[in-house]
Amino acid sequence: MSDLKEILKNLCEADGFGGLSGALDVAESYLSKYASVRRVGNNLIGEIKGKGSHTVMLDAHIDEIGMVVTSVKNGFLKVANVGGIDSRMLAAMKVTVHGKEDVRGVFCSAPPHLDKEDKVSKITDMYIDTGLGDKAEKIISVGDRITFEQSFKELAGDRVTAKSLDNRAGCAALISCAQKLSVEALNCNVIFLLSDMEEIGGMGAKTNTFSVFPDEAVAVDVSFGDTPDVSREKTGTLGGGAMLGVSPLLDRTVTDGLKNAAIQCGAKLQFEVMGGRTATNADSITLTKSGVPTGLLSIPLRNMHTPVEVVDLKDIESVASILAEYVLSK
Amino acid sequence: MQELKVLCELSGVSGRENAVRDYIINEIKDYADVKVDALGNVIAFVRGKKRAVKRVMADAHMDEVGFIVTYITDDGMLKFATVGGINVGVLLARRVRFDNGTVGVISMKPVHLLGDGEKDKMPSEDSLYIDIGASSSDEAKMAVAIGDCAVFDEPYEALGELVVSKALDDRVGCWALIDIIKSGPEYDFYATFTAREEIGAGARTSTFAVDPDYAVVIESTTAADIAGVPDDKKVCAVGKGAAVLFMDRGTLYDKDLFELTLSTAQKKNISHQIKTFVSGGNNAAGIHQTGDGVRTVAISVPCRYIHSASSVAAISDVKAVRDLSSAMIEKFASGELK
Repeated sequence: MSDLKEILKNLCEADGFGGLSGALDVAESYLSKYASVRRVGNNLIGEIKGKGSHTVMLDAHIDEIGMVVTSVKNGFLKVANVGGIDSRMLAAMKVTVHGKEDVRGVFCSAPPHLDKEDKVSKITDMYIDTGLGDKAEKIISVGDRITFEQSFKELAGDRVTAKSLDNRAGCAALISCAQKLSVEALNCNVIFLLSDMEEIGGMGAKTNTFSVFPDEAVAVDVSFGDTPDVSREKTGTLGGGAMLGVSPLLDRTVTDGLKNAAIQCGAKLQFEVMGGRTATNADSITLTKSGVPTGLLSIPLRNMHTPVEVVDLKDIESVASILAEYVLSK
Repeated sequence: MQELKVLCELSGVSGRENAVRDYIINEIKDYADVKVDALGNVIAFVRGKKRAVKRVMADAHMDEVGFIVTYITDDGMLKFATVGGINVGVLLARRVRFDNGTVGVISMKPVHLLGDGEKDKMPSEDSLYIDIGASSSDEAKMAVAIGDCAVFDEPYEALGELVVSKALDDRVGCWALIDIIKSGPEYDFYATFTAREEIGAGARTSTFAVDPDYAVVIESTTAADIAGVPDDKKVCAVGKGAAVLFMDRGTLYDKDLFELTLSTAQKKNISHQIKTFVSGGNNAAGIHQTGDGVRTVAISVPCRYIHSASSVAAISDVKAVRDLSSAMIEKFASGELK
């Protein structure tokens, strides 16, 4: 578990979307110990070859939500969101602006004499304060990327909080799975795809699944964890194990295989049943070319798309164990 | 400014100022006679080069805004009340820290699951909770008890040419007052580092004990010099010097002393500005009406996003506030005013 925590901390504290490669660099440094790796654009592909021609692809998106700069004036920036961001949380929140150098920014917050507390501004109407005055324009340009800023911290039990646990938690599960498989003799090939641009439509998974065209795939993402403000039937329990996706869009055989793998390795499992689309990369992976039978495992996560996401490390371990067992069952 | 970083990163919610108080006493004990009153205020008699003709008290408050645990749910979630004025908008999705090091996060319903109209409405403070990762009430109670306090868990760091931190309000004042004490002042004076300002109880008992002729309140105040705000609503501007107050919602300041403060700043070439909006309040409210009354000035560091995890100020302003406060202490103590 301490290995996993270290991997996850380094993945989360790095930044990664829209060409920022910090998270990819961290992922590559780990994955390359267990698999042969290559970069395709801002995607990372690891491969462990086994006997035979059957290929299983495991996918986790590595991009995070963020923003792009749309204007720079007198040290204040305007921005647009990249991925779903709840603007209600932004006042006085810290960010990192990736200009010619990385600089700190803080979302402006209107003081009480100017603003009714209940008013919610659109993100595109808000400003980020860089504290740089006129110098900002020398360092920051329109189009520069912005990420949230929050270090990784341990909570009670095996729970941790950080930004971008969506979906570095999934990336950590794939790396941990690769570690387990690297010492085994495999009857199939395994592709680990850490894909870009899930938060804006899943382009990384689409194009790389096209190139790899595996015989089957499992997407790994996060899903809603249990919190008092969301009804229980919409959430998974933190610490309750991997959430197995069940949906008409997902392949029944792969799904059953994952369930059996969980039973075989004694990993905890809970179910997430959906009536159609899963809102993960599984949706595009399965529709690639003539079709890829696809399953879905999710890690329950609280406060999704905020800088204080929360997961339980035990659930990431469950996912890693189930994936490894599933590949070994081939 | 390492001392300011240390001061800002200490925890000191109103009524729980212990860590800040211990730090300050340790810093000034070799320069002053120090005692602590029944409400936790630090009262220091500072020996200057000369005896004061008039008794002067300079005040900075030690406490900061934060959170107090009111209830622990069966799921191990902490319900809380805010201590001091904090807008809901700056609470959502923040990390907080308890004195024993326990870390928690303030909940945020995922944006994906918001229903009709929820996106356009701030949640009520009452609907929020702190998640410390506990999965039961018993597990939560091992780390945190009802009545425990937490602060925003954010480091002090540079923001461009400025600095960003929790608790700049009013650790900047504490820093300035400590620095004045250590710099060898001209006249004897009383320095008070007060508790519970953020809940409106600050400085009353310490002022009663000191019974000063004059008071200098060293504070931080709202600056709204941000993009999109019209000039008449900016209140004061970060980087433009010490803000001198003529009125806030607690005090209509002594006009002669207000003007004297401005002219002193001018003569001594200390960067300064007038706070141009009547809002907020500080310890002057209690101080100026204590006993038979105390002639009071307030000198403040302009601070953007005050009462949040990320308040922003300029070090040049903190130094200007120190210099102007020091000059006013000296002027009042010398007895040159009638």
